[in-house]
Amino acid sequence: MEFVSPEGLRLDGRRPTEMRQIRAELGAVAKADGSAVFEMGNTKVVAAVYGPREVQNRSQQLSDQALVRCEYSMANFSTGDRMRKPKGDRRSTEISLVIRQTMEACIMTHLMPRSQIDIFVQVLQADGGTRSACINAASLALADAGIPMRDLVTSCSSGYLNSTPLLDLNYVEDSAGGPDVTVGILPKLDRVTLLQRIS
Amino acid sequence: MAKEQFGSPATFIDQLVVPGDVVLDLSNMANQTIKLGGGLRQESDAISVTKAGKFRLSKPNKYWVESSQKRYVPCVGDSILGIVVDSKADNFLVDIKGPALAFLPVLAFEGGTRRNIPKFEAGTLLYVRVVKANPGMNAELSCTDASGKAAEFGPLKDGYMFECSTGLSRTLLSSPPCTVLEALGKKISFEVAVGLNGRVWVNAASPSTVIITANAIMKSESLSVESDLNLCAWMEDICSSCGVMETLKLLLFNLQFGEISFTRILNLWSCVRIEYCSWFSISIFSRTGEI
Repeated sequence: MEFVSPEGLRLDGRRPTEMRQIRAELGAVAKADGSAVFEMGNTKVVAAVYGPREVQNRSQQLSDQALVRCEYSMANFSTGDRMRKPKGDRRSTEISLVIRQTMEACIMTHLMPRSQIDIFVQVLQADGGTRSACINAASLALADAGIPMRDLVTSCSSGYLNSTPLLDLNYVEDSAGGPDVTVGILPKLDRVTLLQRIS
Repeated sequence: MAKEQFGSPATFIDQLVVPGDVVLDLSNMANQTIKLGGGLRQESDAISVTKAGKFRLSKPNKYWVESSQKRYVPCVGDSILGIVVDSKADNFLVDIKGPALAFLPVLAFEGGTRRNIPKFEAGTLLYVRVVKANPGMNAELSCTDASGKAAEFGPLKDGYMFECSTGLSRTLLSSPPCTVLEALGKKISFEVAVGLNGRVWVNAASPSTVIITANAIMKSESLSVESDLNLCAWMEDICSSCGVMETLKLLLFNLQFGEISFTRILNLWSCVRIEYCSWFSISIFSRTGEI
């Protein structure tokens, strides 16, 4: 299949190194301490942050730093075919772990010992790049909650199809089977916090 | 890349900053003493931001980030509103919207002894002061001021308590007095207790006044700019001379407001002219459709 036309345009009309339109909204979840909705093209995720609050499970309490927990799930209606089991599968568990590790790296956890920060991320519309959209949303939600952070993590995916490197893959390009890398950076500190290849 | 952002501090003062922004570079500020407040951290020569908010400077050398959140981080000396959750032999457990429950020792009252321990049921609203706030420990509260007097601290009876952001409660306590409270105070009489933890308690003679006051305060979150208030005063003037309908007409057809949206102005005004609040929202939307 041709993913890049001879004119150098992709299926959705973007150039190879062009991102999709992004949109962010803070404070979308009234009851959460911090929340954000983040859209990258047709991918839409909502993140809610609760905390720092008391640790629910005392055995997990850390005496020198905050416990960060993350739960990623996909809404049943987020994909083309209705999802049966929106969370708890291997993919969700893995992405939860990735988001947690990325966020832990930028939260100044040592300032909030014996407390817990919960991050809930849900995909409302999945059109490729959910991993990076979730990280961006979680980062914004943490900033909205006023949790001390070293930097705002930003993330984007990229791939390689038809011998062309492509930025910010959508669902069709994502499922084409080419290599796919998700990168998360701390832009002000100039550091990479996440680099993940899925092929 | 990062080098370009190292500006003089003046470039960031009163600007919105986000985590990671490098606001000060100490290498250009040798032999100068500065004091850092909340939301800032030092990494070698760079002072960077850890919380989103407005970067503030109090002359000559105090810097901090002013942010508005839903959750409160206890800080020594803050006056806050707490809700009693439970009472133990030595302490009351108080919810202060913070990361953990706070302790209020049963003896931390004016003239408090073992003999006269106050009785608070769960759910009692207290106006208290934070006396100890260490990270990783429950905060400690007191119902006395620094000299041991009860001052205004203690339980708040009747009235209505609502929650807001910490930013709004700080605005309400600001000096010169918050313009919303001042404007309201000219028209109606009410009592208000503002906790820095984002809780506000209002009491007045009649329930309707309480509701009006509470709604006006809640709506005033975005009202802080001086020009908005001048606008309000200006509208008030016109209103008193030609009546409400004329003012509205003027508003609708006057283009001098520039980028301020019409609904925003009405929101502002309704804080002052509460009696027209509900009437506004109905008539405006029916008359103009989309604003």
